[in-house]
Amino acid sequence: MGATTTSESMGGFKDARLYRQEALSARSYGRALLAEAMADERIVCLGADLSQPTETYLFRDQIPERFFMMGIQEANMVGAAAGMARVGDIAFAHSFCVFVTRRVYDQVAMQAAYPKLNVKLAGFIPGLTTPLGVSHQAIDDIALMRALPNMAVIEPSGPEQVAAAVRASLDYDGPVYLRMQVAQGRPDESAPLSPLDLGRGLILREGADAAILACGMMVGEAMSAAETLAAHGISVTVANMASLKPFDSDLAVRLARSHPVLVTAENHSVVGGLGSATAEALALAGAAPRFGMIGVQDVFAEGATTAFLMQRYGLTADHIVQKLRALRTS
Amino acid sequence: MSRNTYSIPELEQRALALRRHVVRMVAKVRIGYLQQGLGAADLFAALYFGELRLKEDDPDWPARDRCILSTAHNTAVFYATLVERGLLPATALDQYTVDGAPYEVNASERVGSLVEATCGSLGQGLSVAVGMALSLRRRGLDSRVYVILGDGELQEGQVWEAALSAGSFKLDNLCMIIDRNNMQVEGHTDQVVAMDPIGAKFEAFGWASRDVDGNDMSQLVGALDEARATRGKPQLIVANTLAGAGVPFLEGQLSHLARLTEEDAGRALAVLEAV
Repeated sequence: MGATTTSESMGGFKDARLYRQEALSARSYGRALLAEAMADERIVCLGADLSQPTETYLFRDQIPERFFMMGIQEANMVGAAAGMARVGDIAFAHSFCVFVTRRVYDQVAMQAAYPKLNVKLAGFIPGLTTPLGVSHQAIDDIALMRALPNMAVIEPSGPEQVAAAVRASLDYDGPVYLRMQVAQGRPDESAPLSPLDLGRGLILREGADAAILACGMMVGEAMSAAETLAAHGISVTVANMASLKPFDSDLAVRLARSHPVLVTAENHSVVGGLGSATAEALALAGAAPRFGMIGVQDVFAEGATTAFLMQRYGLTADHIVQKLRALRTS
Repeated sequence: MSRNTYSIPELEQRALALRRHVVRMVAKVRIGYLQQGLGAADLFAALYFGELRLKEDDPDWPARDRCILSTAHNTAVFYATLVERGLLPATALDQYTVDGAPYEVNASERVGSLVEATCGSLGQGLSVAVGMALSLRRRGLDSRVYVILGDGELQEGQVWEAALSAGSFKLDNLCMIIDRNNMQVEGHTDQVVAMDPIGAKFEAFGWASRDVDGNDMSQLVGALDEARATRGKPQLIVANTLAGAGVPFLEGQLSHLARLTEEDAGRALAVLEAV
């Protein structure tokens, strides 16, 4: 095993023999959750076999009396999390994005959303970020969770916003879907942290010619696109819409009215996600910029490297640049 | 707080009162969960008048015993029980399934905190009970968690996830009662999916189990006593109930929803009031 480094992984999994030796970054979800749990005894952690790829092994090892390994049974995990929340706990339930949303939709609807309980669904492997295949690719999870009354939906842009996302989920007295990605490699711990207020978008750079609303890993792509366009004299506003529900409709409408072109960018289907939320907000407000949606175009994908899939399914900074340019000249 | 100490005949009288309510409530809406309500009246009486530690003046009492009705449709007998126990106002009976009232066909928590979870989407109640039992145990509370499942509901896969879980966590503060009335929408449960042996299946999953005549109050109370004394395992009581129990001309008729004419309601009440 000497040649293996801790950064090698496939689909969120690393060599299980190594992960106990690895110190999680201060910007990891695992550290953020542990810190909150150390400060609040109501926080409990439920897992469905995936302590390593959901970074919950720190919690397991340090607060074992509040850690509950349910095994590979997500439906039961969601119900049990709801039962715990009914007794007064704040229950964080973990799995991959697909398995805490689509697989357990009715359980989430009836046992967490309808009673508005403190069940925080923490999902990993958003969108196309896995070579494991279509079974593990969550392209409809935002749409599904957004459609549930009482449910909040948060997708941080990356390690710089994970702790704020966990904090925001605790600030809401009710069910939350946290859509996250384990950092690829060691995050830059000196980069500025990003805040996250539920219901508020965050403007990352300002321009006049176009606006890009992005979430999750597409925030980084949007920023790269803005750099590229700036070099060609096109100034672009970029907003991080990490709070997908409640959604900052006011910001979306304001940007739509102050920019001739508006593009959304998400690592998710264009059906029901950030693009849809934005389109709904704009239509209801009567705002009509030239509008485009970067995202998975209502198709299933396949297992491959993230870079390959982003290229094939149109999720790169270049795709944003092309879309925006086409809209400017349309 | 101690449990109620009703005698067996007193509990039987309570069950009789529940049956009268069930007939009146279903007669008023003309079609409803009549056969299940009559069949489970003894079970509800044994639980709510004997077993469960509840406070009429404080339904949210954190140390209460929990009881989840996973088969959320058996509400005529459930609402009648809560009224007779003093946990709901008597007016609830007149508002059963009335538009705008909280007393829906499937019990929701609009009724109040004694609907411990909104079920009705079958197979979910036992998982919630597992979570409650885990959390109560972690907090050092001696509250017990009861959950009533229908036998048809056992066909839901999630029940078996939760059963594995309860056994694995050795949740001895959890007791499940299966209302084995042999009835589901499609007909006799065994003709839809072969169910037996139910108790042995759960024993293989780490549970203690006992089959009783679900219309025999002594057996029900004895089984609840035995369950409460069990250590290290969740407990199952398979309550073999007779659809329509207590009204001879309805007994044994398997009908998920039963129409009740005014005339038949009168006949049924005459029988129940003559006891």
